[in-house]
Amino acid sequence: MPKKNIEELKKEIKKLVSEIAEVSEEDLKEDAMFTEDLGIDSMMALEIIASLEKKYKLIIPEEKIPTIRSLKNVYDLLEEVYLKE
Amino acid sequence: MGREGTIAPVSWKNILLIKMDKFKEKIVIISGGSRGIGRAICLAFAKEKANIVFTYNKSADEALKLAKELTGLGVEVLSLQADVRDYNQCRQVIENTLKKFNRIDILINNAGIVRDKSLMMMLQEDWKDVIETNLGGVFNMTRAAITTLLKQKNGCIINMSSVSGVAGIARQTNYSASKAGIIGFSRSLAKEVAAYNIRVNVVCPGFINTDMVNSLTDNIKKGILEAIPTKRLGEPEEVANVCLFLASEQANYITGETIKIDGGLTL
Repeated sequence: MPKKNIEELKKEIKKLVSEIAEVSEEDLKEDAMFTEDLGIDSMMALEIIASLEKKYKLIIPEEKIPTIRSLKNVYDLLEEVYLKE
Repeated sequence: MGREGTIAPVSWKNILLIKMDKFKEKIVIISGGSRGIGRAICLAFAKEKANIVFTYNKSADEALKLAKELTGLGVEVLSLQADVRDYNQCRQVIENTLKKFNRIDILINNAGIVRDKSLMMMLQEDWKDVIETNLGGVFNMTRAAITTLLKQKNGCIINMSSVSGVAGIARQTNYSASKAGIIGFSRSLAKEVAAYNIRVNVVCPGFINTDMVNSLTDNIKKGILEAIPTKRLGEPEEVANVCLFLASEQANYITGETIKIDGGLTL
């Protein structure tokens, strides 16, 4: 299956994060901090990681998990592990 | 009465069969598994048909011997050299476990050392070594495993503390601090991960018949025996039995708990 481009990917990720974090897509700014600005705790972060892994059939390396602190971090990470794979 | 209405007689053999194999196909990781209490825990779980991953640091000969013994019990065994002070080595243990077994059911953080001295004589290295191995090791192993357990939404963690972490023992400020730290760590983690069906409990052995206790002088040992209400040392198997219980379904509603196995020493 051809890989999705980054814009498509961003749209899907934003939708997924907004559903898990129960934050509307409009309020989910790219650089908003998950914990400080959006109240996303580590358990929600885990849900996000597990959902991404399942959806895109990939494994996010353990050492990358603490770097996921905003939506932008998720985009960057997916770009790294999904698009460059 | 028709055949449907009869109940098959239950023989003692059947009862024993029900009791055995309680951990069949479960994956258990035991740090510091090659000697003493860790060794007894490995054997106890293997007798219940769990597959065993155990780590050792320096005791390669004992580890080899134990691995053979465990394999002889008909379970799969992974014996890994690792220094629990090093997070990357702990991650390697978890990665190797997942590569071989694809899951983790039970993590038993047992690796520990002593460097007993009065505080006045204690070197900074004595403090650092004990804290980094006993408490740092629990963090390193658990941190390396926790994402997997959370994703599984299932798991059981048992941390080996000591009566020294509950009551305090002279000349063990380093050991006692590390073991008390383990209790705090476990209680916090128990609350953090309970919703993910992960239980975290602590076992506090008193004086157990192991190399660690047998290295004490006869005078100290005599004093210890006098202080224990049951007037004997505990056996490693008695600690292993409590681990079996805590890891079993019978303990499904127990988390954040600390169980002392000390013959009444701290009463």
